[in-house]
Amino acid sequence: MVERESPLGAAFRPGRHGNLSAGPGLRISEVTPSGIAEAAAWPGMKAALAEVISSVTALSLSAEPNTGDVGPESSAFSIGPQRFLVTGGADLPARLAAALPLEIGTVTDLSHGRTAIRIEGARAGWVLSKLFAIDFHAEAFPLTEGRATVHHDIFAQIQRISPNGFDIYVFRSFARAFWLELCEAAEEVGYEVAG
Amino acid sequence: MSARRATGGGLIDRSQPIRFTFDGKTYTGYAGDTLASALLANGVTLVGRSFKYHRPRGIFTAGIDEPNALVTVLKDGVREPNIPATGIEIYDGLTAESQNRFPSLEFDLAAVNQLAGPLFSAGFYYKTFMGPVIGPLKGTRFWMFCEHFIRRAAGLGRAGYEKDPVRYEKMNAFCDVLVVGAGPAGLMAATEAAKAGKRVILAEQDPRLGGSANWSGEEIGGKKATEWAEVKAAELTALDNVQILTRTTVWGYYDGNNLAAIERVTDHLPAAPIGVPRHRHWSIRAGTVVLATGALERPLVFPGNDRPGVMLAGAAERYAREFGVLPGEKIAVFTNNDSAYRAAAALKEAGAAIVAIIDVRPEISPAARALAEQAGIAPLTGHAVTDTVGKRLTKVMVQHFDAATGRLSGDPRPIEADCLVVSGGWSPAIHLASQAGGAPVWDGKLQAFLPPEPNQKWVGAGAFTGALTTAEALSTGRDAGLKATGKKASRVKLPEVAAPALDPFPAAVFEIKAKGKAFVDLQHDVTADDVRLAHREGFVSVEHLKRYTTLGMATDQGKTSNVPGLAIMADARGLPIEKVGTTRFRPPFSPISIGSLAAERHWRFKPDRLTPMHDWHVKRRARMMEAGLWHRPMIYGEPGETVEQAYAREAAAVRRSVGICDVSTLGKIAVKGPDAAGFLDHVYTNVFSTLPVGKARYGLMLREDGIAFDDGTTWRLGEHEFLMTTTTANAGKVMQHLEYYLDVVWPQLKVHVTSVTDQWAGAAVAGPNARKVLQACVTGTAVDNETLPHMGIVHGEIAGAPVMICRLSFSGELAYEVYCGAGHGRHVWEALMAAGEPFGITPYGLEALGALRIEKGHVTGAEIDGRTTARDLYLDWMLSKKKPFIGSALMDREGQIDWSRLRLVGVISLDGRPLGGGAHIVEKADGNGLGTSIGHVTASCYSPALQKYIGLALVRGGKARHGTRAFLSDPLRKRFGQVEIVSHHFFDPEGKRLHG
Amino acid sequence: MLIPCPHCGPRDLAEFSYQGDATRVRPDPASTDMKAWYDYVYNRPNPSGPHREYWQHSGGCRAHLVVVRDTLSHEIISVAFAHAGLNTAEGRQ
Repeated sequence: MVERESPLGAAFRPGRHGNLSAGPGLRISEVTPSGIAEAAAWPGMKAALAEVISSVTALSLSAEPNTGDVGPESSAFSIGPQRFLVTGGADLPARLAAALPLEIGTVTDLSHGRTAIRIEGARAGWVLSKLFAIDFHAEAFPLTEGRATVHHDIFAQIQRISPNGFDIYVFRSFARAFWLELCEAAEEVGYEVAG
Repeated sequence: MSARRATGGGLIDRSQPIRFTFDGKTYTGYAGDTLASALLANGVTLVGRSFKYHRPRGIFTAGIDEPNALVTVLKDGVREPNIPATGIEIYDGLTAESQNRFPSLEFDLAAVNQLAGPLFSAGFYYKTFMGPVIGPLKGTRFWMFCEHFIRRAAGLGRAGYEKDPVRYEKMNAFCDVLVVGAGPAGLMAATEAAKAGKRVILAEQDPRLGGSANWSGEEIGGKKATEWAEVKAAELTALDNVQILTRTTVWGYYDGNNLAAIERVTDHLPAAPIGVPRHRHWSIRAGTVVLATGALERPLVFPGNDRPGVMLAGAAERYAREFGVLPGEKIAVFTNNDSAYRAAAALKEAGAAIVAIIDVRPEISPAARALAEQAGIAPLTGHAVTDTVGKRLTKVMVQHFDAATGRLSGDPRPIEADCLVVSGGWSPAIHLASQAGGAPVWDGKLQAFLPPEPNQKWVGAGAFTGALTTAEALSTGRDAGLKATGKKASRVKLPEVAAPALDPFPAAVFEIKAKGKAFVDLQHDVTADDVRLAHREGFVSVEHLKRYTTLGMATDQGKTSNVPGLAIMADARGLPIEKVGTTRFRPPFSPISIGSLAAERHWRFKPDRLTPMHDWHVKRRARMMEAGLWHRPMIYGEPGETVEQAYAREAAAVRRSVGICDVSTLGKIAVKGPDAAGFLDHVYTNVFSTLPVGKARYGLMLREDGIAFDDGTTWRLGEHEFLMTTTTANAGKVMQHLEYYLDVVWPQLKVHVTSVTDQWAGAAVAGPNARKVLQACVTGTAVDNETLPHMGIVHGEIAGAPVMICRLSFSGELAYEVYCGAGHGRHVWEALMAAGEPFGITPYGLEALGALRIEKGHVTGAEIDGRTTARDLYLDWMLSKKKPFIGSALMDREGQIDWSRLRLVGVISLDGRPLGGGAHIVEKADGNGLGTSIGHVTASCYSPALQKYIGLALVRGGKARHGTRAFLSDPLRKRFGQVEIVSHHFFDPEGKRLHG
Repeated sequence: MLIPCPHCGPRDLAEFSYQGDATRVRPDPASTDMKAWYDYVYNRPNPSGPHREYWQHSGGCRAHLVVVRDTLSHEIISVAFAHAGLNTAEGRQ
């Protein structure tokens, strides 16, 4: 199997950067899962789709807007009225497609099309608030939930994976530009790029 | 020396001296000083020259309302003009300059403008320069002659030309309650909301919380007011649900309770720490806003009211109590209300002599009288100041005054003073409420505009509401906090206030009419006479008054001049002020940096969108160009090659052997579902439901109005699964187009569309040897003509990576598009390069791609330009007659099939020189090469295949002109010449090469 | 301005694209009634007050919404999915 190349290139610089007067306030890493898929249901079929995804990934999903789940091998969250972004192993898109009847919905493989960037640390919400006009407060954006939003031209689908951790899925072609912007925004609090 | 540091007092830190430079001279102040307070402490009272008349001006206020003391700050190699000295916190090494003076502040040549006073009265520019052109030096021509001199003489500071190197940022914030202003009212409101568990943001424009508590001299809760504020601030700081933003001005109130604020993060520091922005633009979405923005003091208008040494009484009180600075030694007070008496007592206490209290009112309150006693002076009631004397104030002239009639009587007599503090009453700072919507309400007792009824979610508190006492500030603050939380019972105890019982209402006196220039707007040099002149000339509406006189249009936005200006206009019209009305306040409340608005886009307007092969192209020294957000190779130039030589070489290599081009930027949309084929029949002009699985078809989309929209190939990957490709430029628009029809027009169709542009890397391999290249590297499938015919699709592997190959051509050659997972893009590309090496495979860029398609007459966005129809482009064959499609109803309207439409042709340069895109085609050229346009060139290139300069053009009549000659007319580039109009299929019109 | 997206919650105006008047009715695809087509493609009222319009949450969940907005005050009076099938509890499930 040919390895998938990271889009970050030379922009990926492991180590500590920025204002470290109070230590790094953040860790940033690329965590693109081997398998990423968008699963979409026909109207009235989102709960059924959630069930199919749950059965394939061992996650627990509901049809409620914005909700999601994070497991050891997989994660998923609602990104639209009838849509989930689902992640897992390399075979996830194929397994999902095999398990999902056309009467419920469709699956699209995005394993190469999205790049996941993880930002973790006490100042994660502060730094992300520079880039996105959504509320990162834990009450407004609970654990495992997802949000679809945009930073200027860059679409982002964001899941809260821990109290201070977020996975941000961006289009691969924008990943390097977004990474650089994120690093710049994080300079103020200092950040560590996990290599 | 008149102004000086008081021997004690103030909230400054006398253990921390700070050195700064003003006009090249070094001074010392203390931590906690503003530039204004530190200059006063050093006896500097002349700090600027006025806008029009170059009159000497001093420090007039202690805050954002400052009209006079505007300076230029030099920092980080950049000059920033027009910053009020009253808002600059000093730091070691601060360098500032005064403005609008030449050669120096003390001796200013342009002060001669004062003698030409009448010349610069209201409407001077309109009258002098905008008139009809009569004679050589009238009207606009006269303006052009004078502009240089006037621009130099009038105006404010000079901006620099240097690139601003500092960082600006944006911050998005959300809260239940935003409290604007951290005076006693704001502190109470924030405490109440915070104790109810709400998420609170408290924004204060000053560095210190407390507002008036820091200079009122009152007691709150048995403590000095400033100590009470400190305790409250500490309590709030300790709470997790409260975010305190100091040095933050909330300057805009927008729809949906969105507020804009600017945080001046590092302006008070000698240097910014790493990564810390200078300014942070806050975009705050608040559930409820508590407006506790206080009130602004108004001056009185009288001759000589602009002399250095004249200052607002509240500002003087603030300098004494907050900064430990005396604005003068012998201070006179001139007022129409009680508040100035408190200032008199404060100044006396700080060590100044109060030489007079001149009050326009015949009677004053007992509390005011008691304060006058503290100040050691008996007030001169029923008097007014009629003039001032001295370059820096030395004397004030005083006369009997009847507040009811405005009449002066008796002889003027001088009183020696080096400082005159003035109060004309207080205006609630209702700016944000006015921005939020609604007309302000005139209050006859306060002689001020009160905030309108809220039509967004805000609650007012404190002096903002017209309640001027501290006790009212605390209670209205608590009530506002409670209202914002929606709770019934307060969790906060109201502290007792010990303060003199002053009468909050001023006398209705705004102006003392005596001989001499009496300024209403100090910053724009607008006098009371200018307002009356505007009235005589018919500018009676306040909006017209404002524009004609420029009253209130300077950087201070009329904070001190608005109400006096209206009062003088009302007087001139013989109307009460409420009938004259007021102008609506607009954002920003006080000046903000443009950098803060650009924020993270300062010097960077768009993100770089890169293909998976980007680093390969760069390493190969491709010259990259921007196509929308994408970066694409333009040419892969060899050393010494021109652009034209490079693309001609690349295009020739494609025709001769084989080339490879990165086409990853093409828009790609997965179209899936049981109704996918039927949906495509609706959106494309041609039929897709008949397309077999494993084949691709070229498709054309129209808009509803019948104009061509986009084109591309769509591949049927399964019975219910298609991969649509779009042009690079329209990828987003086509996606939106499809989503619209699925959501809005045909919701019954079961179709999902998903952007997969980024999922796939694409490489076009084109040329007579293309198949051989694939045969050398593709495994898992054959690629021969049988297995992979024209428009066929196969799946296989290249160097271990899964690929999908479609045989289709944009160049007219035997060609394939090889798609693979984007993360394998470079790997597959390199494998194709290796496999192509024996054939001299040549990477080609956008220029060669363009030349190849022009030779074939294929259209792109240059021809599908939002004006052309399918018929204009000779794509009639793609318009299905078997089914309706988007655009079919309107595409054949009269105007869209008219003979005179511009239609696609080819043009060949007959003089062997290039044709410029956008150049007009004319039938007959006059002597200058001009003529009547019959169309224009849309794209042009040097054609290596034809060895000529050719182009595509949209020309009236189209095909009918084939074989005729016309002229190129491009006056902009001074390019004229003869062309031949031919078919747009320049090369291999039968398409033989396509089939290899 | 904030638009309360029925999927994502209140979001900034910058995340949305205006997609036109929602009172227009597309004629039957095969219709040759030119007046109906002109009304659909070109003719728009310009009301002062409540206006039904399409907005796409293009910088979010991508759904098209029907927003009733007061053109005088920018007040958002109501928001629903443009795809009627999503406006019922059963549809969303």
